[in-house]
Amino acid sequence: MFDNRNRQKNIIIVSFLIIPTILLALFVIYPLFKLFYLSFTDWDGMSKTIGFVGTNNYIDVFKDNDVWVSLRNNGIYFVIHLMFIPIEMFIAFLLDDKVRFSKTFKGIVFLPYIINGVAVAYMFSFLYSSQGGVLNEILALFGANPVKWISSEETVNFSLSAVSIWRFCGIHIILFLAGIQSISKEMLEAARVDGASSFKVFSKIVIPNIRTVIEIILFLNVRGALMIFDIPFVMTSGGPGTSSTTFTLYTIQQAFKYSHFGKASAMAVVLLVMIVILSTIQKKIISEKR
Amino acid sequence: MKNTNKYKAKKGIVEAIKLLFFLVITLIVFLPILVTIFAAFKTQFQIGSEFPLKPPTQFFWDNFKFVFEKGNVFTGLKNSLILVTVSVVINAILSTMIAYILSRFDFKLKKMYYLIFLMGMLVPGFVTEIARFGIISKVGIYDTLLAPIVIYIGTDLMQIYIYMQFMNQIPLSIDESAMIDGASYFTIYRKVIFPMVVPATATLGILKAVEVMNDMYIPYLYMPSEGKRTLTTMLMSFASQRSGAWPQLSAAVIIVMIPTVTLYIIFQKYIFDGIVAGAVKE
Repeated sequence: MFDNRNRQKNIIIVSFLIIPTILLALFVIYPLFKLFYLSFTDWDGMSKTIGFVGTNNYIDVFKDNDVWVSLRNNGIYFVIHLMFIPIEMFIAFLLDDKVRFSKTFKGIVFLPYIINGVAVAYMFSFLYSSQGGVLNEILALFGANPVKWISSEETVNFSLSAVSIWRFCGIHIILFLAGIQSISKEMLEAARVDGASSFKVFSKIVIPNIRTVIEIILFLNVRGALMIFDIPFVMTSGGPGTSSTTFTLYTIQQAFKYSHFGKASAMAVVLLVMIVILSTIQKKIISEKR
Repeated sequence: MKNTNKYKAKKGIVEAIKLLFFLVITLIVFLPILVTIFAAFKTQFQIGSEFPLKPPTQFFWDNFKFVFEKGNVFTGLKNSLILVTVSVVINAILSTMIAYILSRFDFKLKKMYYLIFLMGMLVPGFVTEIARFGIISKVGIYDTLLAPIVIYIGTDLMQIYIYMQFMNQIPLSIDESAMIDGASYFTIYRKVIFPMVVPATATLGILKAVEVMNDMYIPYLYMPSEGKRTLTTMLMSFASQRSGAWPQLSAAVIIVMIPTVTLYIIFQKYIFDGIVAGAVKE
């Protein structure tokens, strides 16, 4: 009886894990090691012979001015999203109260996240367009001059960040809301009975109690800002010039447009390292405040 | 008495301000969508001459007709639906299987398995894409629907992790009593554990469906030929041929939006549950 159970246990472990493990090994684990390996080679994506070039790719990445430009662009997304976090928190706080229609608003706020990212990009391309574009037509109503939203180097990153804000604020709000709703109602009631103002309740009770959610959103923000890809890819393909290239966009271009798989791999490794480092720093800062 | 009246009045004002605030947000959310819908029903001439916020005076369906004729919409829809169905179903089965093993059994390599697992979760899929590309072509599935499918189902560690959290909450005594009744481990998985995570399966499945439906760069990288377009890549190729033709492009955008937005409207509740489960249980 016992032996039988044990055999059965082994059979189920092996048979249940075998397919997923093969898939994981093939498409997650192996590519990761392969990536490290490729980052030290000059592979062009096609040829059978792969030349070993040591750390040349990494040196190349650090010396490449466009890499730094793209990182600055990622930085813009990061900072703008960061500035919106308090606003998102506040909206979530408002939604938590039993306001009329708050369920409907929840549904509306989250809608942009559901819409196809490429469709969103084209939608905003039209809004920003110079011919019949909505924003410039509205400006014209007030007699203002048209703005080159996505065709000038000064404005392009801010215009694209706005699209990203439009698209991702909703999910942050929903996450904050989930955090706020997990706070016990008694605690909030008690504070209100003691005469605390809404602002006090928000800053002294809500914020400290949703630390985990804040942590998750900051992590998502670092990751999201570093990985932003489809919006600039579709709307400007990095242009004008390289003024709206992001790190991931530049990586993809290096690999699939210029066939520099070695350099692209080195960039991917750098990206991974950046995500790990930045998330660790953020985590440290937050847990120290505790 | 007077005080409560004052309190009520103050509360009324606060609520009015809140509603106004929400109204502004609603407007910001809907404005781009609304403008696109308007544009889809206008002619190219009207786009150039009319104020964009002016609703179309008559419904001009030719733009939609054009997209259906020239845009490979049905191929795109068919491919997207195949990808969604196959990856959602297989993903649910495989993920719950791993989650069952990891939440119920101890075995020799479990610690190592778990470690690799967590490491894999930290690595964004994008990072490994360059190396993955070579593997996909070597396995011989480049430019087939199988390529995105294996990636969608083989790499979603997050879903496995959430399933595990759900299963950890199911008390072991339930398994034990089934075992006393003579159920095999497979029966326990199939008849006891899986049914108990069905609500989670619905939630995570819908999230997965939306993700697959909207994904751009995996189909873009792995399925370049025309017959393999998904709704998303179909939109991209249509747009690249029709730049500046805003009425037709807007119609295409709306057609591509419809499936996921419909999913969203029907399954809103489940989507929120999934997001919340993913976050709060982390």
